Amino acid sequence: MSPNESVTMTDDTGVDLEAEFQASNIQELLDQLDRELIGLKPVKTRIRETAALLLVDRVRKKLGLASGAPSLHMCFTGNPGTGKTTVALRMAEILHRLGYIRRPDVVSVTRDDLVGQYIGHTAPKTKEVLKKAMGGVLFIDEAYYLYKPENERDYGAESIEILLQIMENNRDDLVVILAGYKNKMDQFFQSNPGMSSRIAHHIDFPDYSPDELCAIAKLMLDAQHYHFSAAGDKAFRDYIVRRMSMPHFANARSVRNALDRARLRQANRLFESMQTKLTRDDLMTLEASDILASRVFAQGEKDID
Amino acid sequence: MAKSETMKEGKERYKSGVIPYKKMGYWEPDYKIKDTDVLAMFRMTPQAGVEPEECAAAVAGESSTATWTVVWTDRLTACEMYRAKAYRVDLVPNTGPGTKTEAQYFAYIAYDIDLFEGNSIANLTASIIGNVFGMKAVKALRLEDMRIPVAYLKTFQGPATGVIVERERMDKFGRPLLGATTKPKLGLSGRNYGRVVYEALKGGLDFMKDDENINSQSFMHWRDRFLYCMDAVNKASAATGEVKGHYMNVTAGTVEEMIARAEFAKELGSIIIMIDLVIGYSAIQSMAIWARKNDMILHLHRAGNSTYSRQKNHGMSFRVICKWMRMAGVDHIHAGTVVGKLEGDPLMIRGYYDTLLDTHTPVQLEKGIFFEQDWASLNKCMPVASGGIHAGQMHQLLTYLGDDVVLQFGGGTIGHPDGIQAGAVANRTALEVMIQARNEGRDIWNEGPKILQEAAKWCAPLKAGLETWKDVSFNYESTDSPDFVPTTTASA
Amino acid sequence: MMTNLGNRVTQGQFSFLPDLTDAQITAQIKYALSKGWASSVEYTDDPHPRNTYWEMFGNPMFDLKDPAGILMEVNNCRKTFPNHYIRVIAFSSVRGVESVTMSYIVNRPKKEPGFGLVRQEGEGRMIRYTIHSYATDKPEGERY
Repeated sequence: MSPNESVTMTDDTGVDLEAEFQASNIQELLDQLDRELIGLKPVKTRIRETAALLLVDRVRKKLGLASGAPSLHMCFTGNPGTGKTTVALRMAEILHRLGYIRRPDVVSVTRDDLVGQYIGHTAPKTKEVLKKAMGGVLFIDEAYYLYKPENERDYGAESIEILLQIMENNRDDLVVILAGYKNKMDQFFQSNPGMSSRIAHHIDFPDYSPDELCAIAKLMLDAQHYHFSAAGDKAFRDYIVRRMSMPHFANARSVRNALDRARLRQANRLFESMQTKLTRDDLMTLEASDILASRVFAQGEKDID
Repeated sequence: MAKSETMKEGKERYKSGVIPYKKMGYWEPDYKIKDTDVLAMFRMTPQAGVEPEECAAAVAGESSTATWTVVWTDRLTACEMYRAKAYRVDLVPNTGPGTKTEAQYFAYIAYDIDLFEGNSIANLTASIIGNVFGMKAVKALRLEDMRIPVAYLKTFQGPATGVIVERERMDKFGRPLLGATTKPKLGLSGRNYGRVVYEALKGGLDFMKDDENINSQSFMHWRDRFLYCMDAVNKASAATGEVKGHYMNVTAGTVEEMIARAEFAKELGSIIIMIDLVIGYSAIQSMAIWARKNDMILHLHRAGNSTYSRQKNHGMSFRVICKWMRMAGVDHIHAGTVVGKLEGDPLMIRGYYDTLLDTHTPVQLEKGIFFEQDWASLNKCMPVASGGIHAGQMHQLLTYLGDDVVLQFGGGTIGHPDGIQAGAVANRTALEVMIQARNEGRDIWNEGPKILQEAAKWCAPLKAGLETWKDVSFNYESTDSPDFVPTTTASA
Repeated sequence: MMTNLGNRVTQGQFSFLPDLTDAQITAQIKYALSKGWASSVEYTDDPHPRNTYWEMFGNPMFDLKDPAGILMEVNNCRKTFPNHYIRVIAFSSVRGVESVTMSYIVNRPKKEPGFGLVRQEGEGRMIRYTIHSYATDKPEGERY
C-alpha cells in the first residue's frame, strides 16, 4: 500500500507495528549499517529514531490520522570522513522501503553541479540536477558553499531559491540531504532561514576515536586481504594518534589514504628485498616499517594525506 | 570446399546421357554456406519412389544450371560455382508414415550470388521459382523462406519512404495508423466517392484507400476520382489540423500510364499512391523508384497472392513475398489481420510483420522463419491489416500487430449506424484509449472489452459501434499454420 | 471554431480523449522512460499540420529515471505559455528508429479557430490547395 492510501478505522482498530516493521525490512538495513560503520552510536540511534517516526507516520496515515506529509529533508553535519555519504545511501534505501521515495537512488552533487558561471546558466543547471534526482535523494555535499555572502552577485542564491521551491512543492518527489561541517552549516542556516525551516532532521556525525579508527582500518584491510603484523598494528595506532592532531585530518578517509600508501611501501619493500620465496602471508602483511616510513613520524614535517 | 562423396568426378560426370541430379553435384551435404550465398528453403512432396535427397538436388539443379540431360558445355564454365547446392533435407514434423499427411521434406539450397543480377526481383525469381514448380519429380513444392545476403540486398533501393519517414512526414507517432477502403468497391461516381473519403478522414482516420480493382472504369474515370478525393483530403486536413492521405490506385495497363497517373496525383498534392501486386515485379520496382524520386509513399495491395501463397504444400509462403516486396521498394503491404475475415495464423502473421519491420531477424521456427536475415539498413515496410476488423477488437489487434501497422476499418467505419464520421470517431477513440491503457501498464488483452466500455460511456459513436459489431468474428482454422510449436528453438 | 467532433486540432496520440490529467501524463512519461526514450516538451502558436518544428522548451531530457522532473517541465511550460499548444515528445535512439516514438498534446489555447482551405483554381479542373491557419494572421506571440 502506498503511503497515500488510507482506510477509515475505528479508535480501537488494532495495528501490528511489529509486523509493519518486519514487512518493511528496515532492520536488515540497520544491521547492514552496523556492519559497515564502526561506532557512530549517536548517528545510528538518530537513524533508528527517524525510521521509527516514518514508519509510525505511515501506519497513522493508513488509519486516516492525518498529520500532514512529513518533511523528509535532512542535514548531516560532521567532519570529513565521518560516514555522511554512506549513511545517505542507507537512508535512501530506508525511505524507499517505507514508500517515501520511488527509487533508492542518491544523486550526489556539490556547488559546481548546481551553480553556473554567468547569467541564465544557473537555473537550467540546477533544474537538470533536480530532474535527475527526482524520485530519489539529492545529496548536496558542502552545501554552505551555495551561499557566498561576500559576493552579492553570486549565482548561488538563485540555485537556493529553486531548491527551496522544489523542496516545498515536490515533497512527494524528492528528498534533499544537505551535508558539511557543523559550524559552517550553522552559519548557512542562519543566513538562509528558508532553508533552515524546511529541514526537519538534523543528524550530527561525531569524529571517530583512535580505537574506532583502528577498527575501521582493520575492516578496510580485511576487505582487501591484508592485515597488520603485531608491530604494524602498534605502529598504525601511533600513526593515527599523531595524524589526528595534524591539519586536514579526515577521519575514515585519512585512514584509507594512509593504508593505500602503506600498501605501496609494502610492495616496494618486497620488491627491493628480491626474496625468491615469498609466502602468501608475506604478500598479505603490512609491517611496522611500512607505517613508520610515513612523514607523520618525521619531526616537524606536516603530512598531507 | 569439401566435395560430397556422392558426386561423380571428371569424365564420368560429363558423359552424355541422364544421371541423377544428386550425382551431378546438386546434393552437397557438407557444403559450407558463404555469407554471400542466397539461401532458399523449399517444402517438397516428392513423387512416389523419388528419394528426398534426389528430389532436393533436382530442385537445386532446375533452379540453377541443370537441364534434364548432361551437356558438355558445362565444362566451359566455372560450373561448380554456378551449381546450386542442396545441403540439408529434413522430414517435416507430423508428415510421413504414421501420420495423415504424406511425407514432406524441408530442402535447404544455397545459390552463389553470381547467379543473380543486382536490383532485379524478376531475375531472382526467374531462378528460384522459374521452372521448378512444374517438375515431375516433385508432386508439390512450396518456397518457404529465403535468406538474402547483405551484398545482394545492397543492390536494391528498398522501401521508397519507409515506416520512420512516413511517420515523420505525417506527424503521427506512437500508435498504429488508421485507414479504410472506400465502399462499395465498384459503382460510385467520383463525386460520391469523395464524400466517403471526406467523412472518414474528418472523423479521425489517417488514410482512405482505393480498392485493388478501382482503376479507371466507366462509372468513375481515374482523373475524376483523383480530383474529388484530393478535395476531400485537403478539406479534412483543414478540419482537423492533421496530415491526411488517400491511396490513389494508379494501377493501369502499362507502366507509362501508371507513371502518368502518379504524376497527376503528385500535382494535386497527394502524399501517397497505390499499386497492385498483379502489375508485376519489374513494374513495382519502377514505381518504387518513381516514388522515392517524388516524395511519395507507395502502397501495395497484395491482389492475387492467395492464388499461390495460401495452400501449405504448394506455391510460396507470403513471408517470401514480403521479403521481395521490401526489396522491391514498396512502403505498405497488406500482411494480414489475425482476427479479421482473411486467412492468418497469429504466429505466421507475426512472422510476416517481423520480415517487413525488423532490422535483423533471428531464426524463429514457430513463426515460420527458417533463416537469420540481416536487413542491411533497408527501410522498414509498413504492414497493413485490412479485412473484417472493427473497433471492438482493438485490444486484440494492438496485442497481435503492435504499433507499426495501418489498421484498415472499411466496413467498420462506413457501416457505422450513425454515419461515416461517427464510424471514424469510434475507431480512433477506441485506438487512443487502448494505446493509453497499454502505456499505463494495464493488461489490455484481458481488460480490453472493459476499457472500451468505459470509453463508450463518454463517446457515443464508440458505444453505437461496439453495439453493432459486438458479435462479429471470423473463427476459421488457418490453412497455413506453423510446423513447429512456439517452444521449439532453432537447432542447426 | 473547428467543426470536427471534438472541436479541436486532433494531432498527437490522445486528441480524441478528454484532456490528460497530470497523473495520466505521468503514466505516459513513465512508459517512455521504461523504453529508454528521452522526453521533450515543445510549444507553438502555429499548429499547421506541416509545422514540424515547434519551439523546444529546453533540450530533450536524456538520462532521467523518474517522471516527476519531466512533468515539472510540462507545468513550467504551461505556466509560461498558458494559451499555446504544448506537446510532449519521446525520442528513441535505437538503430532502425532514431526518431520520434510518442507525441501527445498536453495544453491547448482556450479557443481553437482552426484552418481555412484556400483553393487556387488552375487549368482544367486542377486545384492547388493551401491550408491556412486563422491564428497566423496575427504576429507570433499574439495569436491566441
